[in-house]
Amino acid sequence: MAKFVLRRLAMVPVVLWLVATLVFFMIQLIPGDPARVAAGRNATLEQVQAMQQKLGLNKPLVEQYVSFLNQTIHGDLGTSIFTFRPVLTDLGQVLPSSFELVFAAMLINIAVAIPLGVITAIFRGTRTDFALRIITLLGATVPVFWLGLVLQYLLGAQMRIFPISGQKPSGAQIERITGMTTIDALASGNLPLFFMTLHYIALPAFVLSTSFIAVSARTLRSGMINILDSDFITLARAKGISNFRLILRHALRNAILPTFTILGMQVGWMLGSTVLVESIFGRQGIGSYATTAVLQKDIFAVIAVVLVMGVVVTLVNLLVDIGQKLIDPRLRISDA
Amino acid sequence: MSLITGKSFISNTFYKKVKWLSFYEKFIFAAIIVILLTAIFGGRLAPYDPYYVNLEDSLLPPSSKHWFGTDVNGRDLFSRVLVGASSSLLSTLAVIAFAAIVGTILGTGAALGPRWLDEIIMRISDVAFAFPALILSLGFAAALGPSLSSAVIALALTWWPGYARLVRTYVIEIKYREYVDAARMLGVSRNRLIFRHILPNALINLYVQITIDVSAVLLVISGLSFIGIGAQAPSAEWGALVADGRNYILAGSWTVVIPGAVICITAVLFNLAGDALRVINDPTLLRKGEK
Repeated sequence: MAKFVLRRLAMVPVVLWLVATLVFFMIQLIPGDPARVAAGRNATLEQVQAMQQKLGLNKPLVEQYVSFLNQTIHGDLGTSIFTFRPVLTDLGQVLPSSFELVFAAMLINIAVAIPLGVITAIFRGTRTDFALRIITLLGATVPVFWLGLVLQYLLGAQMRIFPISGQKPSGAQIERITGMTTIDALASGNLPLFFMTLHYIALPAFVLSTSFIAVSARTLRSGMINILDSDFITLARAKGISNFRLILRHALRNAILPTFTILGMQVGWMLGSTVLVESIFGRQGIGSYATTAVLQKDIFAVIAVVLVMGVVVTLVNLLVDIGQKLIDPRLRISDA
Repeated sequence: MSLITGKSFISNTFYKKVKWLSFYEKFIFAAIIVILLTAIFGGRLAPYDPYYVNLEDSLLPPSSKHWFGTDVNGRDLFSRVLVGASSSLLSTLAVIAFAAIVGTILGTGAALGPRWLDEIIMRISDVAFAFPALILSLGFAAALGPSLSSAVIALALTWWPGYARLVRTYVIEIKYREYVDAARMLGVSRNRLIFRHILPNALINLYVQITIDVSAVLLVISGLSFIGIGAQAPSAEWGALVADGRNYILAGSWTVVIPGAVICITAVLFNLAGDALRVINDPTLLRKGEK
């Protein structure tokens, strides 16, 4: 196990280097003068020249690459042209809020997908199965941004069941501790406020989770079907085990592992989808930061978002890989 | 079966199969054909000029005159959706065509070429798989400058590793089949072996993935347009239409609801078509309750 963890850890710098190289390649794609783009529309000639100096645009490509890697390692991802702060500082401010949203969406995903996968596998081929599969199919194919707007309009503006946008009631003061509004509200000891922040996060989290529920439920369904057809299930049934125990203890426990892999990968994908959700619901986060950067033509900030997402996704996948080995002893033997 | 000989499977198997399609499958495939025809001829079918601004007709609800209503600039939404079909779907198809061709070349190279090539291609595809496609293409499109063609290039650069991985799996599986060994022993040249014996049989499964991917790519492209990095105003690309209507949802909900529903229906149909093709390809799935 230790050997696996070490080997997996050794891969991390390689992947991060690949991500950084990819981002460097993106910068090379910028047409015209990247220094002008990085300095912003209203930059003076001196500012553009200073930026040229910083990016090393007059140096050979290899030197540019080396100095880019050097700056990136030291956390210098450039300065945003619309907040005038270092992009990394900006992202540090908003990332916790995105994590909070992804975590909430993941909870919804698990809470819905696991029962859905189990039920559709047990009732496969029946009308229940068919109806539930149509619903998951719709979940997978509905454009996230559209679902967000429509639900916001129906449940927020028309029926007033959910708040339309934001993260907390206007005027509510929450001391920033972790940067996650719900946790901060809980930490302040104000329970009603905590429930209000949950009310605010519910709709965006649901919208974010819809397309992922379909994938995880489907993975679990086919895993369950395979397991339910296997001999040891027949044996257990022959021994007179209760249906409930058979499904939960014997089938689900074995079938859920591939689903865990998918859920782990979904963390990264969900973080990517915040781009489509956060700005609709007026939430702070890396996604809405990226959309604002796009609108402000702050190309280097967008590229920095790509880099930071790459780092986060790499680390999450590392944790998922290790966690999986911890859960499933069979994987440990094959890969020791 | 022609599947095994790898010889002109389209002329034999495909027509035989059309005869055996269920009503449901025929309906799905007919709908796909209608959508593709709209993508090609949509602009000519439009009853109004999709770009003609007429502020007197601003935000008219759906009626017999304007089937999908009008947007805030008084433009006929039905005409815009029809014209948008070509930007949305043709750019989607361009992405998939590029990804499938590059993926096939690199996937075959990974499966049959030297080990180091395999390693490089697979490691790249690992990174691409873990990375959210939306973010990766967002970065590329931002660098290239916001436009629909940037979004297409960005997505094409993002999407090929999936195909490389898939083709590699298929080719490796076929490579060890007995008939390939037999052909090799009969003295078939390496090129002929690859192009006549291995690839046709490996790629026969690819169209299932291509069909399903249409909905995935369509969703990402419209998403990029929605956040303003893909198609730009006054383009009628479907994601851009949703973005256009966004600020007027209270006064005219149809300007958001209809274009989004069109994206959703198209994605559902391509998904169902992919599933149907999968079952046609491998009828044993029926027994497993996969249908």
